[in-house]
Amino acid sequence: MNFASPACRLALALVSAAPLAFVPAAAAAHPHVWVTVRSTIGFSPDGKVASVTHDWVFDEMYSSFATQGLAKPGDLVTRDIFAPLARQNAGGLAETGYFTTLKIGGKTAEFAPVKDGDYWMEERSDHLVTFHVDLHLKTPTAPGPYFSLLVADPEYFIDFEFDDNDPVALVSAPAGCSASIAKPKPLEGQDSAKLSESFFSGLAVGANFGFKMASRVIVACP
Amino acid sequence: MKRLSSLRRAARVLFAGAAALAASPAFAQLAQRPFMVGGGEGGGGASGGITGWLIEMQSQLTRLIAADVHALHGDPAAIWGLIGFGFAYGVFHAAGPGHGKAIIASYMMASDRALKRGIVLAFLSATLQGTVAVALVGVAALIFNATATEMNAAAGGLALVSCSGVIAIGLWLSATKGRALLAALKVRFARRAALAAAPVYADAPWRPAAGSGALVAFRAGLPESAAAGAIDDPACGHLHAPDPATLEAGFSWRGAAATVLAAGSRPCSGAILVLVFALAQGLFAAGIAAVVAMSFGVALTTGALASTAVFAKRVAMRMAAGDDSRIALAARGVEFLAALLVVAFGLALLFAARSGA
Repeated sequence: MNFASPACRLALALVSAAPLAFVPAAAAAHPHVWVTVRSTIGFSPDGKVASVTHDWVFDEMYSSFATQGLAKPGDLVTRDIFAPLARQNAGGLAETGYFTTLKIGGKTAEFAPVKDGDYWMEERSDHLVTFHVDLHLKTPTAPGPYFSLLVADPEYFIDFEFDDNDPVALVSAPAGCSASIAKPKPLEGQDSAKLSESFFSGLAVGANFGFKMASRVIVACP
Repeated sequence: MKRLSSLRRAARVLFAGAAALAASPAFAQLAQRPFMVGGGEGGGGASGGITGWLIEMQSQLTRLIAADVHALHGDPAAIWGLIGFGFAYGVFHAAGPGHGKAIIASYMMASDRALKRGIVLAFLSATLQGTVAVALVGVAALIFNATATEMNAAAGGLALVSCSGVIAIGLWLSATKGRALLAALKVRFARRAALAAAPVYADAPWRPAAGSGALVAFRAGLPESAAAGAIDDPACGHLHAPDPATLEAGFSWRGAAATVLAAGSRPCSGAILVLVFALAQGLFAAGIAAVVAMSFGVALTTGALASTAVFAKRVAMRMAAGDDSRIALAARGVEFLAALLVVAFGLALLFAARSGA
């Protein structure tokens, strides 16, 4: 290929300018909402994984936003008053995969659609808002030697983090099952060549950033 | 005038299209992203590196801003921290997607505006964006005591208007620049044909360049028949001459104002959150101060990006250095690409806003 030819130089000139236009679009969405997660994994009487119940506590900024205009100053927003917003939020959960990835035996478990009564939202006495939801597996599944639970927003608009003291509880679990938390790898550990590449290629790369930043619960049932 | 009317026509078609889309059940479904704030942020994710660092900085700055709002209850000096962190947040935030930065930069590239004007545009759109957020929260929350759902709906409406406007401007630029590109191509081919046929005209009387640009000289030296189609076509006559004076004369503050309006009318989620939070703490004025500082930060980064876009184009022009028809072709090519990018950004923002990502 003759790089000195006029046509080639012209093409080079055009191509060299194009990536610069992509730079502004390259950076990711960043969290605007922070959630502290406490999850309960429920087992059926025959020892299968049947449900995941979440209590998500929102940061004070989103809590202010969610409670805005709903109660008199000084009053807490009750579940009744929150019902319309809770319904709206619950209604969108399926679209985002319930922000919940439950992997059993290498397969991702599917959740049944959320029904009224499975969720509520309320303002705690410390003015932080809690969203509660019961997710039922479509088909209860035997836990196998271990399985994992990940709570994350793939778009990373919401930053979910497990509660430090009380991240996960197991209810009616077979004897010997125990849960532990695996923290995400720090960002510095990632391949820098790939990173700069993704910086320039923009929108499509690494769309699941939220997953990379998420902690994982590992439940072992030996 | 002709350009403005075509802009208006494009805008009308787009608004109709956007309204139809918004009304369709599939989109209504998408719009209900859980725990949404405002009209939704643009862009998807990229992982780690500079991006990860940007994300980390913004997360920490958000916490610092919240902490300073609390601190204000006892310590008025915390306002300086609030303003400083707000400014820094804006600087980092503007390096992310959406928010009109990409639009301003691409618009600058496509429309060959002077650097100073680009920076003014960046500043105006950032200021408008901050003002829209303050007005939205001020009117909706403070006066009408609106709820999160109502504010989301209002912000969503503004986002839709903004995205549609960006797409309209992009289409208008693409049409204008596409026509200019075709004209430049014609000139280029005419030039090559003339060069190839040069010996035939060896005896033709040569008129030396009397005008300013080489294009004028080349035009004077060409046989009338070859030049007529490419250069004297009245429909695109004024578009392909890379004459700074023409561009100056053609600069329309109305076109620029439309860009500022489209890029800046979408309030950003971060600003809405800070304002509502400050309001809940009884410190709305402090929230406004933080958002104004954020706007200045956004303006700084956007201005830098716009300058980079102009600079990149100049470098591209220099790389394509040769005779004027080639430079003109390269310039029109870059401008057309940039115009298409404005459309792409508008579409990306539209889908991001509708899905609330």
